[in-house]
Amino acid sequence: MYKILSIKIPLILFLALYSGSSITHENINHNIDASSGDKCVEPTDVMRAQHHIFINHQSHETVVNGIRTKKYSLKNCINCHIKPLADGTYPSAKSEEHFCTACHIAAAAQVECFDCHASKPYKKVAKKEEDAQN
Amino acid sequence: MKKYKIKLDRRSFLKKSGMLGMATLAPGVMLQELAHGRAPDEPASSKNRWGLLIDANQCSEECNACVTACNEEHGIEDFGRPTTDTQYIRKLKLTNESSGESLTIPMMCQHCENPPCVDVCPTGASFIRADGIVLVNKHTCIGCRYCMMSCPYKARSFIHENLENQVPHTPRGKGCVESCNLCVHKVDNGENTTACSEACSKEGHQAILFGDINDPDSEISKKLNKYKTTEVRSDLGLNTAVRYRGI
Amino acid sequence: MRDKTDYVIVEFSKAILIYGLIALSLIGLGFYSFITLEHEGHWITGMNNQVVWGLPHVFAIFLIIAASGVLNIASISSVFNIKMYKPLGRLSALLAICLLTGGLIVLVLDLGRPDRLIVAMTTFNFKSIFAWNVFLYSGFMAVVALYLWMMFEARYNKFIGKVGTFAFAWRVTLTTGTGSIFAFLVAKEAYNGALLAPLFIALSLLVGTAVFYKILFWMDRGLDIPMGSEIVKRFRKLLIYFIFTVFYITVLSHLTNLYVTKNHGYEFFLLFSLNTYSLLFWGCQMIIGTLFPLLILYNKKLSESAVGILYASILVLFGGFTMLYVIIISGQAFPLDLFPGYSESSTFYDGVEAAYIPSVYELMLGLGGVGISAAIYLFAIMVLDFTPKSLDNDAIALAGIPDPEPKIEENKEEPADEESKEELSEENQDNKQPKAD
Repeated sequence: MYKILSIKIPLILFLALYSGSSITHENINHNIDASSGDKCVEPTDVMRAQHHIFINHQSHETVVNGIRTKKYSLKNCINCHIKPLADGTYPSAKSEEHFCTACHIAAAAQVECFDCHASKPYKKVAKKEEDAQN
Repeated sequence: MKKYKIKLDRRSFLKKSGMLGMATLAPGVMLQELAHGRAPDEPASSKNRWGLLIDANQCSEECNACVTACNEEHGIEDFGRPTTDTQYIRKLKLTNESSGESLTIPMMCQHCENPPCVDVCPTGASFIRADGIVLVNKHTCIGCRYCMMSCPYKARSFIHENLENQVPHTPRGKGCVESCNLCVHKVDNGENTTACSEACSKEGHQAILFGDINDPDSEISKKLNKYKTTEVRSDLGLNTAVRYRGI
Repeated sequence: MRDKTDYVIVEFSKAILIYGLIALSLIGLGFYSFITLEHEGHWITGMNNQVVWGLPHVFAIFLIIAASGVLNIASISSVFNIKMYKPLGRLSALLAICLLTGGLIVLVLDLGRPDRLIVAMTTFNFKSIFAWNVFLYSGFMAVVALYLWMMFEARYNKFIGKVGTFAFAWRVTLTTGTGSIFAFLVAKEAYNGALLAPLFIALSLLVGTAVFYKILFWMDRGLDIPMGSEIVKRFRKLLIYFIFTVFYITVLSHLTNLYVTKNHGYEFFLLFSLNTYSLLFWGCQMIIGTLFPLLILYNKKLSESAVGILYASILVLFGGFTMLYVIIISGQAFPLDLFPGYSESSTFYDGVEAAYIPSVYELMLGLGGVGISAAIYLFAIMVLDFTPKSLDNDAIALAGIPDPEPKIEENKEEPADEESKEELSEENQDNKQPKAD
């Protein structure tokens, strides 16, 4: 009996913690711009679990073979999902308002992409900033 | 579908003619379509080899348009620290030691066929693409700078600072090595030009000509056949894709 | 061939405490420097787009070279079968591991992306000397660890000769690999030559011997492991041989370059132009690092005292370090000649000597590596019996007695020395057979 309990209690604790974390996951603000389309390139649960695999694969194809299809490209993720701030500019990946950052902080997974990659759309932001200056 | 088939034929034809060393004799008719852009899902192919022909006679000493355009195109910031700031392209002033005459030329990665940087890179991050463009895969670059030690042209720069606001088509970040990428995003897009070349033409100099040196019908190939051109440090036998005229 | 030496586990003492604290503070400095570099980027160092490898690399290569050099002492006993060195075998292998670890850590922490070390360990381009070196370095660790095991385990002592020979061959390859990092750079005139590999091997023997002597001296004074005059005498001879070897290859490489007209520019730059590098070359490498130690080693009084040899060792270490600095930095500072017959100028420092002033961060990082080597050494001697109980003349003589039938003929002085001289200079592993098995 004790033996079974000693196995079960950690298991129950683990499950409780785990479901707790997924509840938190549901609760965080994704900051994803929903207005730009009705669905992503893959179903939501697939994207949630595997987006990094798609992106990694695509990065190799692009850098090494020069394949620049839009479907899994990071540029496309950003252009579609990024949500402008109240002042019309786009948040950088350092800010929690960026759609990648909020989630990745919650999941405690570090994003390396933006060490090198632009985290906001190029042309759009340029235009917005120009507008702001004028 | 049919188009694809023709391309295959042409590829095998090119291969054979290349093996016989008579690529230059190939009838132009068959190669007409080579210069067209690839489809986005089509990988870069070894039937192309992109390069530049730089005409020293056309390059003006006062003009710096190619450098400015390059910096703008790739989002290269100036931190005001010339020893560590990145330069993909630089204006090189040459003074003939005997006659005292001087000329200027743009200098950048020469996109060698046998690049020393690719040989020395421990992780294979420095690589040569099928179409001859020498690139750094910043996903695997560990920042050891061995490639910079090996480059005979000092073409490479190390990113010494934290960067922000990179342009989307040229990802670059602290701790990696980088160099001229022959505007690979433009090449993949079928634009058939580079930022420096465009800027030079805009200034009315036509000193930088971009093109496919594997395509005997391209303007660059015709010029390479017609004029005497030089390869920088040809003694090293690297077979560069950037050639100079008028030196 | 049993090991007759008594070994001890070193007890905690004042000397350990002092040196432990020094080592830890060096590690602290190194760590601080690493964190700062990671956070700020490399612009705060003296390294730039012209001189891409700086002081950290000098430190790293110095430590790596010393690592393969200290193993030489073990090789003398098990490969060249000079048994008086046997009591030093364990220490020798331990120091090799310590120094290599310290050197490699400096090299790794200076990378632009040290977080991607896993990439360097899993993705290889086998045309790169660096990729080869990853295997050479990790293999060296494994081979030396095996060597240590054979030395520690009495049952396996009989394999010491074979494993030692393998380790010796490995270390020659390793130093060749380290030298080849520079030797195979076609673009740089200064490095253009396979002579760099033997030069690095000779330098490793010299630096390794000097480091080893410094440790022995410290053990004598700090840990009460007495060091007899026999050891002093032998290390004096080793230092002399190796100083002359390094000197010979240095002269040879410069003469080669002076014969090749296209390399005159670099030779003039380094030897006669009164810049930092020529001053370092003549002043530090040649006079302080070569001439002075030789004067000490041939001075009647100094050459017989343990302190005299210590001074010589320290000068040799200084000279070896400046030699690496001169080779590594001056080769990068010397401008490339892209267009022979033209003088060049640009915003990217074409045609001019590239400036390099080492920053304090680089110094701290390099010292951190030294600290790590020292800390591992101090820790190891306190947990395992690496250290011989005594190194006085009796202990050395006892170790030198041949095993099967105790004849007292080659345990002392000249004959053995002559033998070691010849065998070493040939650097030939084949000499070990008769007694090793």
